[in-house]
Amino acid sequence: MDILTNLLSILFLPLGTSLLIIALGKYRKQYSSIVAFLSSLAALGLSYILLKNMSGSVHYSWEWLAFGDSKFYIGLLLDNIGATMLAMVSIVALCIVSFSTGYMSEDAAKGRFFAGVAFFMFSMTGIILADNLIMIFLFWELVGFSSYLLIGHYFQKEEAKSASKKAFIVNRVGDFGFLIGIILTYWQFGTTDLELLSIKANLDPSLINSFVGFLLICGFIGKSAQFPLHVWLPDAMAGPTPVSALIHAATMVAAGIYLLIRVEFILTSEVLTYIAYSGAFVALFAGFCAFAQDDIKRILAYSTLSQLGYMAAIFGMGYSGIALFHLITHAFFKALLFLGAGAVIHACHHEQSIFKMGGLFKKMPITAITFIIGTLALCGVYGFSGFYSKDAILIAANDYNTTLFYFLVLGALMTAGYMGRLIWIVFFGKANSEAASSAQEVKVVMTVPLIVLSVFAVFVGLNAYWPFGLGASIVSDLDHLHHLSNYKDIHKWVLILGSSAWVIGLGFSLIFYGRGSSDDRLQVKSPKIHAFLKDRLWIDEIYQFYVNNIQKPITEFLSFADEVILRGIIVRGGAGLVGIFGVGFRLLQVGKLNNYVLWFFVGLLLFWLYGIDLF
Amino acid sequence: MMHSHFLFSTIWIPFLCGLTFLVLVKDVKTLGSRLLGLAGVIVPFIFAWVLYFNYDASHVNAYNFEFILPTGLESLGIFLHLGLNGISLPLYLLSATVGLSAIAYALFSNAERLNLYVGLLFIMFSGLMGTFASVDLFFFYFFHEFALIPTFIMIMIWGGVARHAVALEMTIYLTLGALLSLIGLIALYQQSGAEAFNMIALKDALQEQAISEVLQNNIFALLLFGFGILVSLFPFHTWAPKGYGAAPTGAAMLHAGVLKKFGLYGLLQIAIPFLPSGSETWGFWLLFLGLGNILVIGLITLAQKDLKQMIGYSSVMHMGYAFIGLGTFSILGAGGVLLLLVAHGLSVALLFLLSTCIYKRFSTYDMSKMGGLGQIAPNLSVFFAMAILASIGLPGFANFWGEFIIFAALAESETTRWVLYLAVLGIIISAVYGLRAVGDIVFGVAQENRVSENASSSIGDMNRIEKFSATLLLGSLLLIGVYPKVFSDNSNETLQNFYNKNSLSLNDGYVDGLNIEEQRDHE
Repeated sequence: MDILTNLLSILFLPLGTSLLIIALGKYRKQYSSIVAFLSSLAALGLSYILLKNMSGSVHYSWEWLAFGDSKFYIGLLLDNIGATMLAMVSIVALCIVSFSTGYMSEDAAKGRFFAGVAFFMFSMTGIILADNLIMIFLFWELVGFSSYLLIGHYFQKEEAKSASKKAFIVNRVGDFGFLIGIILTYWQFGTTDLELLSIKANLDPSLINSFVGFLLICGFIGKSAQFPLHVWLPDAMAGPTPVSALIHAATMVAAGIYLLIRVEFILTSEVLTYIAYSGAFVALFAGFCAFAQDDIKRILAYSTLSQLGYMAAIFGMGYSGIALFHLITHAFFKALLFLGAGAVIHACHHEQSIFKMGGLFKKMPITAITFIIGTLALCGVYGFSGFYSKDAILIAANDYNTTLFYFLVLGALMTAGYMGRLIWIVFFGKANSEAASSAQEVKVVMTVPLIVLSVFAVFVGLNAYWPFGLGASIVSDLDHLHHLSNYKDIHKWVLILGSSAWVIGLGFSLIFYGRGSSDDRLQVKSPKIHAFLKDRLWIDEIYQFYVNNIQKPITEFLSFADEVILRGIIVRGGAGLVGIFGVGFRLLQVGKLNNYVLWFFVGLLLFWLYGIDLF
Repeated sequence: MMHSHFLFSTIWIPFLCGLTFLVLVKDVKTLGSRLLGLAGVIVPFIFAWVLYFNYDASHVNAYNFEFILPTGLESLGIFLHLGLNGISLPLYLLSATVGLSAIAYALFSNAERLNLYVGLLFIMFSGLMGTFASVDLFFFYFFHEFALIPTFIMIMIWGGVARHAVALEMTIYLTLGALLSLIGLIALYQQSGAEAFNMIALKDALQEQAISEVLQNNIFALLLFGFGILVSLFPFHTWAPKGYGAAPTGAAMLHAGVLKKFGLYGLLQIAIPFLPSGSETWGFWLLFLGLGNILVIGLITLAQKDLKQMIGYSSVMHMGYAFIGLGTFSILGAGGVLLLLVAHGLSVALLFLLSTCIYKRFSTYDMSKMGGLGQIAPNLSVFFAMAILASIGLPGFANFWGEFIIFAALAESETTRWVLYLAVLGIIISAVYGLRAVGDIVFGVAQENRVSENASSSIGDMNRIEKFSATLLLGSLLLIGVYPKVFSDNSNETLQNFYNKNSLSLNDGYVDGLNIEEQRDHE
């Protein structure tokens, strides 16, 4: 198989799968999960063959639309960064689809679910393989669409209705800037092709400007749920849990970071600084918010927000390789955590509040152990994958700016705190509800993916052992860090602070919350702090206020003005005025349609007679 | 030569079919008359595609498949002169596609006096094919009126609430618009000194000698506002939502989908390329009023609670993109407008079709009283969601390319770049009202008392004809959306010829610009 065929088959296999599942018709219920599973297996195989045969990067491009001298292209570009993403996405997707075959087995609409997941895989692969910004935008909106579809999976629920709408619209707000940014880039550089852009930007740095850069990163802010467009991600948890794992934790939200890495060379230092600060802020802010949540999935959603903040922060500091590193390690352990949460929810009959769980360690040992492994990886415990990427981030931050460094260390402390709270309450102590006491370990199709992902969550941090030379930019960025002048001192300091962050976080949450408690100790002891954290800086309320108290009156006033003033008074009135002057014409315009038809033909006849020289 | 006969027959076949239905057919629900009806739309549809595949884009400055019949009006320079160029071909195909979808649906519908309804739709269809196939300006106008009159009659007979008042308002308003544009066209003809009242002669005459700036400005104003009224240019749009709200499905599909495009087609094909200095003078107004369509009407659309009104307003809003696209006076902008016209025609026809399907399930157009369509009719829900997503510019559907190309064209020159920042707000506005509609209609639980009694039990999901009509339109949207080259290759040549900057701006010597070089090439 040549490289192009291989690339195309990787891109179109999921699309074909999606269409096939739709075409299954009444057999959908029976076969959709097995079709989806086999397809993800085949996709992983195809990616393996591709990576094995590939050396260097490949780039294909086809003209897709042209008017005059303006031409737009569609193309495929696979370089080391793309290959790294592709490998991660295909492995994670296979695990999640396999888990879903168990999780969704009783869902009546699983055909729609698996078709949606396959379509998402197509769109996500499209973003990874896109060779230009316009094509990225195309698939960017398509992942948004798949996300909309899957968040709205339980469409009968009011929650799903508003969450899916919110996700799409908030992303559109980001895309507003992104689209303008792409168009301005097109005219500025004469192309949006990523390779050409990097060449042109290197040759003539004066083409780069901050305005366009800020517009471009709007796309990232929307998709990766950064402040102030982060509001859609926690609500997106209304979708089925495997979807939250795949789309809203491991892959799609990380696509924003991927975009940043793709356009790094046209971002000015102002833009990068903004990304670094905003990322560090989100890393800490989301960590605080997680403490006021009692829905297991929403806690993990805020954790995702916070980790995306880490990726953004390190990217802004100029280490795109380490951002990619954290993206990859995070994808595995966060997918693991979400699937673990899914297993817990499945076992507890769709109970999602952590205060109604408790004591699950003994009942679901595999889930519990893998979940704890994921947690340790997330907290950056030495030896787990999260340690390697987080360690690198903190070293770089220490070198970059002390304020940011302490923000991120504090963020790590928060992470361990809210994850400790979750673990102690869910898995230890006594069962706090009927559902939790009758919980049982989930099926093998669900535990195997958990085990596989936990192996990755432990070992994927050892990037030196990645096959096919994947992650080359990570190696070079780490190398750069190792050559910092005072590397040894910084590293020692980071190790001490980083380790004490998770030790304190996990320990303190055990002392404060206790094992398996049935009420939120923070809410009991200090309702004011809890309420403040629950309000999440009132961002949602501000948007709600805008929609209800500003936008709505404006639209209603305009609608009224249109109907009454413009249509009723000006147009009708104008017509009436004409009527007064044209009393004579009244005879002709008696308001019956037949007359108009008649007069039209009379006029036509007269015209005709004139034309043939009868007058 | 044979192909020119194909072109002509796509006009007279539907016309004869229409007469047959009006006069001879008593019961449409017999197999024979249904077959006749289907043949009457499918044959033109096939012919239109045959013409598409035989279209030769390299025919510089000239029309393909030219066909000329004398009419007895030669002294006025009027012939039945047909032909297609890169601008009219896409709209001609649009008309064949929407016509097939609308008439096939009507043939199997339950309207009262069905023979009359189908007959009028056929007359309208014939007029539509004629409008876009005409090179002669008299017939260009004549066929438009020919299609417009059945619209009024259909609203009068089969319309919804307040149909008499609405039809009258629409008639007066649209007749006024048509009249203004007719005066403009006649003035243009008269001033140009062209030998015949058609687009080719006019172009040649104007290339030889451009008309004075003052006259250009005046004629352009007539055409802009005349055609503008017909396309619901802000603030002359008030007839549109009410009219579509009252119109029966077939009429709304054909009018909003195809006939309305007449005005923009006139601006694209005639006014802007032929009156360069006039369009430069009025260019700001194109942009300004177009933004009015996008922002003001967009916000008004947000306030709509009635599904049909919402679609009507959204259609007015999307015309704004076309106006600002025209306001760029560039090849790219014109290409984007052309794409958007076709895309919008397909998607708005689809939305009107589906809104009728939805009405049948809920017996209301009030969105706040709907909900749970996903349970009652999963296929219809998918179609509706797709249609909404297409109309709000999701990539993969044709509308995306139309909007994107227009946005890109706005940024090409510094003078129009400011419009971009405002116009792109439209993609947020349309996402809000579009997804709100999907949320209210598709999501939620179907409550028995919300669903009309006969609807929930007997109608259920889409039937075959609903699926056929909707698939045809959705499929076309996808085809162009996935591979827009099917579209641009044919139009590109013509647009380059019409919209080349050299031939446009007076200062660079409109007379001896690029066109003379082309003539040399010819020799």
